[in-house]
Amino acid sequence: MARRSKGGLEREIHAVLAEGAQPMTAAQVRLALGGDLAYTTVLTVLSRLFEKGEVAREQVGRSYAYTAPYDSAELTARRMTLLLDDRDTDRAAVLTRFVDSLPADDELLLRSLLDR
Amino acid sequence: MTAATLAALTAMLVFTAVAPRLGRRLPPAIATIALTVGSLLVAGSTGFVLTVLALTWLGQAPLIAWLAEWSPTALGASTPIPTFVAAGCLALLVAAVARTAIRAFRRGRALVAVRRAHRGSPNAVIVVDSDRPDAFATPSPGGRIVITSTLMAALTPAEQQVVLAHERAHLRHWHAWWLLLADLAEAANPLLRPTFATVQHAVERWADENAAHHTGDRTLVARTIARVALLRHGTATRPAALAATGGQVPQRVRALLAPRPARRTLLAGVLVALLAFSTLATVAVERTGDALFDRVATVQDQ
Repeated sequence: MARRSKGGLEREIHAVLAEGAQPMTAAQVRLALGGDLAYTTVLTVLSRLFEKGEVAREQVGRSYAYTAPYDSAELTARRMTLLLDDRDTDRAAVLTRFVDSLPADDELLLRSLLDR
Repeated sequence: MTAATLAALTAMLVFTAVAPRLGRRLPPAIATIALTVGSLLVAGSTGFVLTVLALTWLGQAPLIAWLAEWSPTALGASTPIPTFVAAGCLALLVAAVARTAIRAFRRGRALVAVRRAHRGSPNAVIVVDSDRPDAFATPSPGGRIVITSTLMAALTPAEQQVVLAHERAHLRHWHAWWLLLADLAEAANPLLRPTFATVQHAVERWADENAAHHTGDRTLVARTIARVALLRHGTATRPAALAATGGQVPQRVRALLAPRPARRTLLAGVLVALLAFSTLATVAVERTGDALFDRVATVQDQ
């Protein structure tokens, strides 16, 4: 079986949870993926997704059951929202914004241009 | 060798002084390409000249001289470059390489994070729920256009088309990558900072002109830019002084209220001539440097 990338596995596990009607434990997620992954790998990815707020979990007995509150489109939108923060100069540098922030002096100038 | 070095450095200084001025008067697409390619040539030329000059001093170190098979004493006696100049060049070279490597690493990391954020998404345009009016495109290939619900709600359908046409132009013409190349050239040679600012401006103008062509209404595009800028201004979360492109929005609006920019073959010709001179001077540095190292070689080529 081809080795999965870190992001690819996250997306697969999220898809399994999003399709499942009920909360699933790590063992159930592992089975749904074909059972060829180590249990700890599945658990690690689930914890990572939980830390990012991309899945929810509840205590069931001695383990957690996971659910996906967003479908994949909502998940993408959620991740893209993080990109809106333009204080990260590196991220701002690789995105092409429609308009950047406006220095105070330019406001009046723009308003006068709009009025023409 | 001294003459070639001075010629290469002069070409670099003239480019850094002249390119931003010429760039603002050229049509935006030509300005973007000419200034980015020029920045890379000039940064590369400077790096190469610094390396050759540094080597005239560094090459006198016993280990390097032994590895390169030349005589350290002969090199010291025949180099026309004073030691303090060569040592200074070495310091500048190390600083430039370190600065470029750090910036490439940081931008690369951001690039990967952005791609990871939208990987697997089937939509070319992603509307995100946010109370900030904002729109941007992520880098090609497979870049997505992101627009916030607040901005969508504030714009008329025609204005939404302007924003989408502008961002689509960024994707179609790989603008993020032109910017990244000019950005890295600036990291290698900080004298290129005004040139980089001009490339940033030219890329936005390029997308503006595309949007104007697409919608067929220059005034509409101008009004949309002004309106979005004022909307964003009202909700700005960071001090305006941090904006790298400050003062450019009014210029974009003015340019759109004026007729379409004309071709400027002569100006473009000046830039090309300058870059050709820079390249020639760099080749001359290579030739004369090579001749110097050949003269001091302990093993002579037959």
